[in-house]
Amino acid sequence: MGRRPPAPDPFPEEARAGRWLTAPALLGLALFVLLPFLGAVAFSLTDLRLGSPRGPSFVGLEQYRRLLEDPAFLAALRNNLLFALGVVPLQTGLALLLALGLRRRFPGRAPLRTLLFLPVVFPMALVAVMWTVLYAPGPRGAVNALLETASLGLWEPRDFLHDPAWALPAVMLTSIWQGVGFQMVVLLAGLQAIPRELYEAARVDGAGPWRQFLHVTLPGLRNPLLFVVLVTAILAFRVFDQIQIMTQGGPGHATTTLMYEAVRAAFVRQQLAQGAALSVVFFLLVLGLTWLQRRLLRQRAVLA
Amino acid sequence: MAETAGRAAGAGRAIAGVALAGALLALGACGREAPAPGPGPRAAPVTVWAHAGQEAERRALEAQAARYNASGPVRPVRLSFLPEGGYNAQVQAAALAGDLPCLLELDGPYLAHYVWQGRLRPLDGLLPAALREDLLPSVLAQGRYRGRLYGVGTFDSGLGLYGRRSLLDVAGAELPEGPGEAWPVERFEALLERLAEADPDGAVLDLGLQLRGEWYTYAFAPALHSAGGGLLAPGPDGRLRAHGVLDGPASVAALERIQGWIRRGRVDPNLDEAAFASGRVALAWGGHWDWPRYREAWGEDLVLLPLPDFGQGSRTGQGSWVWTVTASCPHPEAAAAFLRFLLRPEEILAMTAANAAVPARRSAVARSPLYGPGGPLRLFAEQLAGGRAVPRPRTAAYPVVTAAFQEAFAAVRDGLDVAAALRRAAEAIDRELAEGGYGAEAAGT
Repeated sequence: MGRRPPAPDPFPEEARAGRWLTAPALLGLALFVLLPFLGAVAFSLTDLRLGSPRGPSFVGLEQYRRLLEDPAFLAALRNNLLFALGVVPLQTGLALLLALGLRRRFPGRAPLRTLLFLPVVFPMALVAVMWTVLYAPGPRGAVNALLETASLGLWEPRDFLHDPAWALPAVMLTSIWQGVGFQMVVLLAGLQAIPRELYEAARVDGAGPWRQFLHVTLPGLRNPLLFVVLVTAILAFRVFDQIQIMTQGGPGHATTTLMYEAVRAAFVRQQLAQGAALSVVFFLLVLGLTWLQRRLLRQRAVLA
Repeated sequence: MAETAGRAAGAGRAIAGVALAGALLALGACGREAPAPGPGPRAAPVTVWAHAGQEAERRALEAQAARYNASGPVRPVRLSFLPEGGYNAQVQAAALAGDLPCLLELDGPYLAHYVWQGRLRPLDGLLPAALREDLLPSVLAQGRYRGRLYGVGTFDSGLGLYGRRSLLDVAGAELPEGPGEAWPVERFEALLERLAEADPDGAVLDLGLQLRGEWYTYAFAPALHSAGGGLLAPGPDGRLRAHGVLDGPASVAALERIQGWIRRGRVDPNLDEAAFASGRVALAWGGHWDWPRYREAWGEDLVLLPLPDFGQGSRTGQGSWVWTVTASCPHPEAAAAFLRFLLRPEEILAMTAANAAVPARRSAVARSPLYGPGGPLRLFAEQLAGGRAVPRPRTAAYPVVTAAFQEAFAAVRDGLDVAAALRRAAEAIDRELAEGGYGAEAAGT
């Protein structure tokens, strides 16, 4: 964006109307996104506490300095990165496989599609409670029992959500299960938009299924894939609900995230300034991530 | 992923959402008025806010308001219920908007925070001395801050150990008769092992680990006190501090013991909240609110025991919802009149018959079928009257204190290093106490 040389506008009248038409949306954005964000930046430079009778005083970058010394913040940063690095490729890959599989016609396709999409409709809170029960410790827990049967009794039951090594992967699996259906549907729609003639032409040229996938399907899915990856990455940084319900950031700080730490600071400890500093860091990270992604993929089409 | 739509949100949106949520909560609060008799023709009514707790409790309070209004007071009351989840956040939002009612119900430990914010009026001149002297010491302790009484509950809570007599008999346990005879913790641990031998999965104790939140502070701070530790104590300069208390050897030892029970597999994770009622465990660390359910499950086999003694005698939790008069109330005398009505022994008994809590006045305790002499929950009343109940720290920094302790207890539960977890919590608390602008807070006031 912004690199093209300015072209002479052939429809100046429409541009004026366009500005009027976008004005309400821009006003809304300014009022509900830009203004509060500037507020957050301002708050993060003070020691404001929720409901304190004492006014806030300016403390400069102290809140940010504390964040850098806070093991919970560093753990949250690491967990967010691990979460994104794990969930984005796995979830996107799985969604692509499902979409490819469900593109073919076979009996039971419609119910299967519905079934796979169903978790997306569930509130995350419900999904998290359900998986907490599935991950129950001891041989009675469903996941433990399944692994024990599958491994012919070799599996030692463990307490997934309270085990520092397993808690984050367990939450990631839950998230993938819940979110994969949405990406699958986006990719299915993308697949259906690829003209059949391209496949016919590829077959005429002697391309097998793998080469058809590489040279027809993937390029045709470029924009939906970019969209899916970008959205999943942003959501991976926003992860909160599962953490709040399944692990509360524990054990230790093994599953805490930036959003979780921000909510705890602002509303549990009532340290609003600290929460504001966390959300500013969070915003810059997501901004940087979006920018990086667009650079790397040289994305030109405007998505969504 | 939490949400399906591609909402590329930044921090700004989160903050905007919070502002909106606050506004909606405030609106919601205005709209949730209970059907109480309308104001009289002349005098404006007294506004009253309460938490919408259990159904029975809510109905009891509605009936009390109706009875009061029917008795022809100078000013009738208009009662509104706010949902219990997030009650404190809703009231805080209303306070910021200058929209508090006259008579306000609060969760006890938050009282100091409200006083510090300047929201409450002292009750000292509003309640007769005879009434105040009849209140349980725990109720007075909880309502007092910086030398003045700001809040009074009509009931208090009880914390103890529920057990099944038949299983304890088989394990050869002698049951303590009163709070003074609580099991020393070593004997309690030996009992856990004996009970485990007869138990299919070896988990014989329910600690309510699934409850989290305020339960951790309420239920396990007494273990620290019983060991000679605690959460906060005044330092050499008279100011409250956590260092040396919360991370002191006694507190560390107490939580290491509890961690040991969990490590050895003696504690049921209780994900279905049915560990005791369904018979999976023989013992349950629990509150008065568990009694109706446990009683129904086990009848005469149910016994109520004091918590184990970690070295300095058994200690227990206390505290519940309290009534306060707000500083902005234009007619505090009328608000106090309704509070005095709620504190009549017969009204206290009407409420505690509905929620099984400990009546706040000695005269009501004596007449209570649950707590009177020979009553099944007598132990709870004895603990409160006998000074075994430790109030949670009365400091304006309480939100930070309890958050830090809950985090530390979660680490203990997850098998992490106890001393390190408590040291981190103590540091976080002491920093907040030093920087929060709370002023000097003497302990035990």
